[in-house]
Amino acid sequence: MLLLVGPAAAVLVLFQIVPILIGMNASFRSWALYDPTKTWVGLKHYIYVLSDPVFMTVVLPNTFLLMFLSVAISLVFGLALAHLLNRDFLGQRIVQTIVLLPLMVAPVIVSTMIRWMFNDQFGIVAVVWEGLGFEPMAWLAERWPSFSIILFTDVWIWTPWFTIILLAGLKSLPREPYEAAAIDAAGRWRVFTHITLPMLRPVMLVCIVIRSIDAFRTFDQVWVISAGGPARGTEVFSVYAYIEAFQNLNFGRGSAAAVVGGVIIMVVGLLMYRVLNRLMEVSR
Amino acid sequence: MTAATTTHGGSRTPGFFDALAPGGARALFFLSVTAVLFLFAFPVFWLVLTSLKPGWEVFYVHRSTEFTWGNYVDVLQEEIVLNAFINSFVIATAATILSLAVTVSSGYMLSRFRGPIANTWFGTIYLFRCIPYISWVLPLYFVTQWLGIFDSYLGLLLPHIAVHICFFSWIMKGFFDGIDPSMEHAALIDGCTRWGAFRRVALPSAIPGIAALAILCWLWTWNEFLFALILTSHNTPMITVVMAQFVHELGTEWNLMSATAVMTMGPALIITIFGQKYVIKGLRI
Repeated sequence: MLLLVGPAAAVLVLFQIVPILIGMNASFRSWALYDPTKTWVGLKHYIYVLSDPVFMTVVLPNTFLLMFLSVAISLVFGLALAHLLNRDFLGQRIVQTIVLLPLMVAPVIVSTMIRWMFNDQFGIVAVVWEGLGFEPMAWLAERWPSFSIILFTDVWIWTPWFTIILLAGLKSLPREPYEAAAIDAAGRWRVFTHITLPMLRPVMLVCIVIRSIDAFRTFDQVWVISAGGPARGTEVFSVYAYIEAFQNLNFGRGSAAAVVGGVIIMVVGLLMYRVLNRLMEVSR
Repeated sequence: MTAATTTHGGSRTPGFFDALAPGGARALFFLSVTAVLFLFAFPVFWLVLTSLKPGWEVFYVHRSTEFTWGNYVDVLQEEIVLNAFINSFVIATAATILSLAVTVSSGYMLSRFRGPIANTWFGTIYLFRCIPYISWVLPLYFVTQWLGIFDSYLGLLLPHIAVHICFFSWIMKGFFDGIDPSMEHAALIDGCTRWGAFRRVALPSAIPGIAALAILCWLWTWNEFLFALILTSHNTPMITVVMAQFVHELGTEWNLMSATAVMTMGPALIITIFGQKYVIKGLRI
């Protein structure tokens, strides 16, 4: 039994648990990258982070909003696309391949490309926008337009992930309930809400929990598209921790922010799993 | 939504699609498919287009008329790009094989055994799945320095395996949960060892899932950026980092960057086209 997890546990301890312990240790110390004296300062960094108005009123709301909207929108689109791809039509394979494109393009590439497309002078979106007669607009210089672009990118990247897992789920559903519904002449929408959704629920639960935890720590897209700007308006918590550690060179404070974020998402993830699981049991 | 499915079932309540003219449902279906294709393909199409433009034309791609292969030639003449492709390929392949090897047994254990060790392990992987990358990437730099494997294959490979352990164990547990254990019990009664029951009975049934995971793992490792950025230097350049380095103080060389990006997508494209069947079959969690 121990033998089965041995190799996995060894790698996990050395390359994840040990670094995390080093990071937690750092969060209690005055550990600046340019000044490795590492004096013990207790909870100073935690107090700083938790009383920082930027962290509490901008970073956390942004993080939760991005997580909620990204997961919700990609789930809806993913479900719709999975349905679309679950039927046979001419060119289904080609459509499926194109829908899966975002899965294979590195997030860094996509984000750079999106930033290029939304460039306010040379980007294709600006060209089309002005061609349609609208006022030129510097999207990335304002908070909510930048946030929307980041959200769009995140949805673009992750919708195929939902699609592929839900499509696998749809393909494995038993056929009998559908045949029964066809005999009872049930409408398409009723079949969807009364048969497909309840049967897909376990798969959707796993998808939502896994994806929410990941969405909470989104970094690449935000960092490449806006770097948390303008004026820290789109900063999410990973970016906050990164900026504290690597740009302000305060590794202690960055680690403290990362620990705070880690604790929040752990609690949220666990609650979500419990609540969704309960809902599933009740509906059974 | 096709015409064939709207006409069957005679007496059901009239729905939205019945209000459309004959052929309307088909047209709507066609339109929505086109919209989806456009949304998903456009950024990639734009990338390919930019990669085919000479450097002076990238700022007005939409009305430029010249096309050139020059960017690809330029990029491939740089030794670092070729090295980066080889390194990324080696790391992605090795990480896939090793991550699957260590998580298949851990997922099996989570699925089949009960008790304090299994519970502790599940708690551990749940816990560490939630920890944000940012909190262990920088200390990881210290760890690889300390072990003397910084900027080597091993120094990148082991952290990559560590990243996948939690998620893959969780998914593998799902695969084995879906396989009826009574076959293994039968094998045990027939004198098979516990290890034999795992290897001869459970493992073959889980192969479709494992294949799906292998494809995704390879793609993720190939596309990974943050680890490659922090844990490597000039000895083992990785393709995503090399690509991002076309951004420098004079601005971004969009044409060269796009050409590298398109080539980076190549292997991923091949894998997705030939592997999607297995991914969709296998990922039934």
